Amino acid sequence: MAVCIAVIAKENYPLYIRSVPIQNELKFHYTVHTSLDVVEEKISAVGKAMADQRELYLGLLYPTEDYKVYGYVTNSKVKFVIVVDSSNTSLRDNEIRSMFRKLHNSFTDVMCNPFYNPGDTIQSKAFDSMVTAMMVQAS
Amino acid sequence: MAQCVQSVQEFIQDSFVPMVAVLCSEDAEKVTRKNNLNFSELLRPFCRLTSEGHMRDPNNQVQVVKNLRISVNNVVTRPSVPASGVPGHAHRRLLSEVVLTCQPAEGGVANVITAGDYDLNISATTPWFEAYRESFLQSMPASDHEFLNHYLACLLVVSSSEAVPVEKFLKLSQEQHRIQHSGEYTNPKWFIPNTLKYYVLLHDMSQGDEQRADSVYEDMKQRYGAQGCYLLKVNSRTAAAGADEQIPDPWSQYLHKSSLQSQDQYEDPAPVVVNDTAVENNVGGTSEVDGHDSEEKDGVLVNSLDNTHPLQLDTPSDPPGSLDALRAVAVETKPPPVATGMAAATSHGACLTLNDHDRIRLFIQEFTFRGLLPHIEKNIRQLNDQLVSRKGLSRSLFSATKKWFGGGKVPEKSIAELKNTSGLLYPPEAPELQIRKMADLCFLVQLYDLAYSCYHTAKKDFLSDQAMLYAAGALEMAAVSAFLQVGAPRPYPAHYMDTAIQTYRDVSMNMVLAERCALLSAEVLKSQAKYSDAATLLIKMTSEDSDLRSALLLEQAAHCFINMRNPMVRKFAFHMILAGHRFSKAGQKRHALRCYCQAMQVYKGKGWSLAEDHINFTIGRQSFTLRQPENAVTAFRHILTNDKNPITTLKQPFHNVALPQLPLPCINSSATRVYFGHERRLAEGEKQAATHVSLDQEFDRDLAAMWQDLEEQVVAAAKRGVVPATFQPTQCCLNSQTDNLRFPLAVVEEPIIVEVVFRNPLKVPLVLSDLTLLWKFTLKDFNRPQPQEDSVGDVVAISNEKDARLKLLPHQTGQLNILGLVYNLASTSSTGDTTINTAEGTSVRGRQDLEIQGPRLNQTKEEKTSVSHGPDRRLDPTITPPMPLLEVFFLQFPTALLCGEIRKAYVEFCNVSRVTLCGLRVASTHPDFFTFGSSSLATPLTPLSPTSFENCSAYKTLATPPGVSGAGTGGKGVTEIPLGEGTLKPGESTQLPLWLRGPDQEGVHEIHFLFYYESAEKGGKIRVLRHTVFICASRSLSVRATACRSNTLPEEEERKEGRNSSMLVFVDVENINSSEAGVREFHIAQVSSSSKQWRLHKCINPAEDKESLFSLMPVFNFCFSVPSKAVEKYTFADLSLGNELIITSTTPCADFFFRRCQPLESLRLPVAMETQGRHSRSQGVGHGDGAKDIAGVVRKCNEVELDIIILWKAFVVEDNKQVILEGQLHVALQTIDKEACSMTQKEEAQEMVLLKFKPELPPPMTRPSMEQLSHLIKTNLHYPESYSHPFNQKSLCMVPVTLTLSNCSLAQVDVIIDLRHKTTSPESLEVHGSFTWLGQTQFKLQLRAQEVMRVQLRACFLHAGVYNLGTPRVFAKLADQGAMCETSQQTATPALIIIINST
Repeated sequence: MAVCIAVIAKENYPLYIRSVPIQNELKFHYTVHTSLDVVEEKISAVGKAMADQRELYLGLLYPTEDYKVYGYVTNSKVKFVIVVDSSNTSLRDNEIRSMFRKLHNSFTDVMCNPFYNPGDTIQSKAFDSMVTAMMVQAS
Repeated sequence: MAQCVQSVQEFIQDSFVPMVAVLCSEDAEKVTRKNNLNFSELLRPFCRLTSEGHMRDPNNQVQVVKNLRISVNNVVTRPSVPASGVPGHAHRRLLSEVVLTCQPAEGGVANVITAGDYDLNISATTPWFEAYRESFLQSMPASDHEFLNHYLACLLVVSSSEAVPVEKFLKLSQEQHRIQHSGEYTNPKWFIPNTLKYYVLLHDMSQGDEQRADSVYEDMKQRYGAQGCYLLKVNSRTAAAGADEQIPDPWSQYLHKSSLQSQDQYEDPAPVVVNDTAVENNVGGTSEVDGHDSEEKDGVLVNSLDNTHPLQLDTPSDPPGSLDALRAVAVETKPPPVATGMAAATSHGACLTLNDHDRIRLFIQEFTFRGLLPHIEKNIRQLNDQLVSRKGLSRSLFSATKKWFGGGKVPEKSIAELKNTSGLLYPPEAPELQIRKMADLCFLVQLYDLAYSCYHTAKKDFLSDQAMLYAAGALEMAAVSAFLQVGAPRPYPAHYMDTAIQTYRDVSMNMVLAERCALLSAEVLKSQAKYSDAATLLIKMTSEDSDLRSALLLEQAAHCFINMRNPMVRKFAFHMILAGHRFSKAGQKRHALRCYCQAMQVYKGKGWSLAEDHINFTIGRQSFTLRQPENAVTAFRHILTNDKNPITTLKQPFHNVALPQLPLPCINSSATRVYFGHERRLAEGEKQAATHVSLDQEFDRDLAAMWQDLEEQVVAAAKRGVVPATFQPTQCCLNSQTDNLRFPLAVVEEPIIVEVVFRNPLKVPLVLSDLTLLWKFTLKDFNRPQPQEDSVGDVVAISNEKDARLKLLPHQTGQLNILGLVYNLASTSSTGDTTINTAEGTSVRGRQDLEIQGPRLNQTKEEKTSVSHGPDRRLDPTITPPMPLLEVFFLQFPTALLCGEIRKAYVEFCNVSRVTLCGLRVASTHPDFFTFGSSSLATPLTPLSPTSFENCSAYKTLATPPGVSGAGTGGKGVTEIPLGEGTLKPGESTQLPLWLRGPDQEGVHEIHFLFYYESAEKGGKIRVLRHTVFICASRSLSVRATACRSNTLPEEEERKEGRNSSMLVFVDVENINSSEAGVREFHIAQVSSSSKQWRLHKCINPAEDKESLFSLMPVFNFCFSVPSKAVEKYTFADLSLGNELIITSTTPCADFFFRRCQPLESLRLPVAMETQGRHSRSQGVGHGDGAKDIAGVVRKCNEVELDIIILWKAFVVEDNKQVILEGQLHVALQTIDKEACSMTQKEEAQEMVLLKFKPELPPPMTRPSMEQLSHLIKTNLHYPESYSHPFNQKSLCMVPVTLTLSNCSLAQVDVIIDLRHKTTSPESLEVHGSFTWLGQTQFKLQLRAQEVMRVQLRACFLHAGVYNLGTPRVFAKLADQGAMCETSQQTATPALIIIINST
């Protein structure tokens, strides 16, 4: 499963970022941040006319030596980034897609919380546990 | 990739230039040495040809050779970079030196790139990279698979001063031949077997004979041909003479610093020193020198490494060849390096005039156009012819025969290093290599079309032979030449490059070649705006083996990202960070710092705090190692302050002393507390000081509200009931929860204590010392002295939160602003051992400002929608003129009391200021807890000892008359304190007795006192002093009392006195003390009453024991008759049960009684008012008055306002001594027949009022209840108790009975009396023999207020017996209430009459 899951605000600052605890957190921050360039490129590549029917799932953003970075952009330009281990070949595109969908649903729930101030970092426990479920169990 | 100075074409051309070797005689070297240069260095600035050359290609077409550059180098016979492609240590060091010396200019031009919402300041050029690239390419080792770095020609240089120059030329020529063909040396490599030899006669103008030189030159011309030799005249002036003349120094930019330095140390001429001895030595003694050299090579040879080309160096790891040994010998024979070289080192070409420069330039041009180019042209033609002659054979056949015949064609396996890298080695004469050779030659002279086709052919051949290294080389050059072709007939084959790189790297393991290839390709891609490809290429080239290369390439890749059409800012930043990381690993700290700083621009303030912190941390660390502490501090501070929101408050311009702002430790500004007022004495002997306020107390919102309420009360009392509009509660201790909108007041000469809370976010302990407050003072008026400050001790903040208290003592009035803190910051060296270390360890003195953000404003809509904060003036006290200062002490103040116990204590007031105080008052939450005696009556100066406790019985001391202290108090909880003259002079103190009464409820009571006083001066300010005590009350007695209407008619004499009725009061006293306090027994000493109407008359207690000792029987019963009395004043009636009578009204007893009553009464009154109001509302306009009447009247007749006071004595064993405690309990009787209890009183008073949101509905029951109405009339039957009647004589017995009706109410009442006997109940049926009333059986009467009426009745009995006469039924209603029906009045108690038959 994923080794890092991040939610990035429209303004490109992290709303939520979580990585497998034993590994270098900083590295994932950098990776996710860097992937935003590709996300923006992909969004702009689609073009403005197609913006409405745009597929939210962006697919593989780029592979690094050890990881694969996948992206997903909501219509409100909130980005989801999932980093998975390259060695994990069993993970299919469809599974990634469904992970993103799950993430999106959970994120929607967070946004629906009247006490959540849009733009704040996400501190929802429900969201957290959902993300934990999608992460690799660091054992 | 950053912008470069050169164009791509220039760059590639310059990367591959014809190589020319130099062999120099010793004398010739001496000539050039005068200019601090060797011969090749002398030529180097002039190696680029300014004019165009011409040559013919194999098709006899004239081609223009533009902008050609040649490379002139000394012959070095040692391999520079091992062919394995792993650069040696020295090589690396040199490259790193090159990069290190090339730093961006300070404040250099940086262009701003705007990408999205990022504005980045990025230096557009990266000169260090270009320098690196240039050095790298120049230091490329010559390898076997390509010929580009092979020497095409050799310059043989001999000085004209030589005795026989021609002979010398011969020798040099032989030497060259030997080097090339003897097979002893693998290095240098030569392009073509017959290398062009060009003979140069060097003539020193300053010393040599010019004519001789000319003649020798003529001789040479004849011998070598005019195109094969040259006479170069240099050194037209002496070094000393021309010192003042400014000659441009074109050498400096070509010679690297490193090489300059080494040059000074070791002035070896050309490595190949051709003198006779040396050659002989070389021939003969190679083997001998070998061993002897090994000790020295490190010392001498390493020094000499840099002398030819700075990069063609390596520490030889293998035993040096014979030439090295030879040189070592030469070094030994030479004089040691001269120091003069040092001075001259700075300038080159000191002996050269501009004329000489021109001569050298001319020489190069001549050599190139007349010597080199024709030579190349000839060779190309030859090679071409060879190839053409072979063209007949098809390539496939060619290769087929190769397979069949094996032998000569089969590439032999190399014995040496190439074995593992390329796998294949062609012999030098192999036809494939000839093609390659031709291609290289064409490439060098800019015949790119031809070169490309040759490379392409070669490539195919190599590939088919699986000679991967060769193929890669051909691919690389094919791609480059395709790119360089004029007009670009074919697109740049980037995949050639990729294949080449991959082959170099993965198959040949030759990173140097791969790197060269990548550099070229990236540059080409960049020129075609394929930045993404270029970046990928560069990133691929990063590897673990070279940090410097990786760093540079990553940086270039980062530049590629930013230069893309849609700039990829984040990728740029990330790769910059990677580059910075590699730079720092490579020891390039400055470059690393620069990279991180550039990346920082992207990460800064975008919410990526982890990354930001990491960068900041690295920047800080790098800055620190680079001795830039300011930058380091800034960076580190960012990390520390990152988590909290920057408070953008204005910075004051004061005190901007050079102290740096320290970020550590964090100050929790909002937790800062400020305390005004001096430290009080806590206790003095038996004296106990008022608790007041201190910094140690936690702030409690409820308590604060309570104090404010008390203060309002006392101020209202002092200002005659009105709280002034400007009233503000005193705040002695300000914190984040108090109201800090106003400037707090501080008094001159009274200290201000500031408590600052530190937090250490680090895990390293920090030591703060010499803490001082930083303040600003604005003088308002008054004299000289400045406020002085005291700092309070050292504070060691370790790991978590700590607070420091700092004291400030103002000496002058004005406005004070506390700005911040100044302190020394140090970290403890190792353990928690602190203060000793601070002295020795380094510490930083710095400041930190205290900026307190006020509370968020949330009043107006504007404030609600935006986030704005109010001011917080905690730290800006106003210093006011002196004010009185009161200290209060308590003596013998108990901590535990029985409920209702009376105890005496003393209170001492002490004015410690220099101003007279007056208007001393006290407010309390429990005003019934205490009362003051008068100072005049008490004996303040002799505090009583516990042993004489009995003597100080509360009831023996006369307290103040009730009029003074009791009724005279203003507010409900405020007492004026009877000071002697109403004032307390400076330094004076007064002691007053204080009577305390235990609270009525058991438990721990928190009792608050607020002492109020003001300055005696005009317009004196108000001050207050707080005190809190805890009293533990334990249960004593419970008193329950009931009042009953007495049915007996008042006696005649009593009626005369105006008493028209009486009551019985039943008092039950119960001992509920749970013996833990050691109470042995209670005595009821006295029962007193207090009422406006009633007073206790006598005790009709049936119990004989008057002492009423009830330690055994807890419940006791008293019965008192209470005659009524209509007086509008509280009257005390005392009934003593003991020996002595205590006059209640003149003891503190009354005080306590009144204090207790007041809250009750004030409670009672508004309730009554309200019910009346409600009635009138509900009843409407019509009979509003009447309704009011009913309520009033009806209630009135049921009310008794009687208070019973029980005075008791308790015998308590305390410390084996019997102590008598005294106390009093109050019972308030309000309604007839309702039991009142001393215990439950409180609960009734504290009845909760339900919160109602709707206006309250009028109560449905508008009338007085039936029960209330049934008490309107009191009936009484008067008759003889027994009556004898002779029934024998007269069968009817008539008994006169008087029915007395008395109206209890104050209104007219209509009464109906019905005598008709209605036996409805079965019980009365059983009564044997009934009687009848005679005469009128129904009466209708009207009774005026309080009227008593008697009705004469007659009863008729038929038999003897006992009868109940209480049958008359009385109905009553208020006279003016027509609508109401009569209410049956309370039936009288059974009135029994005994009829006796008297016979």
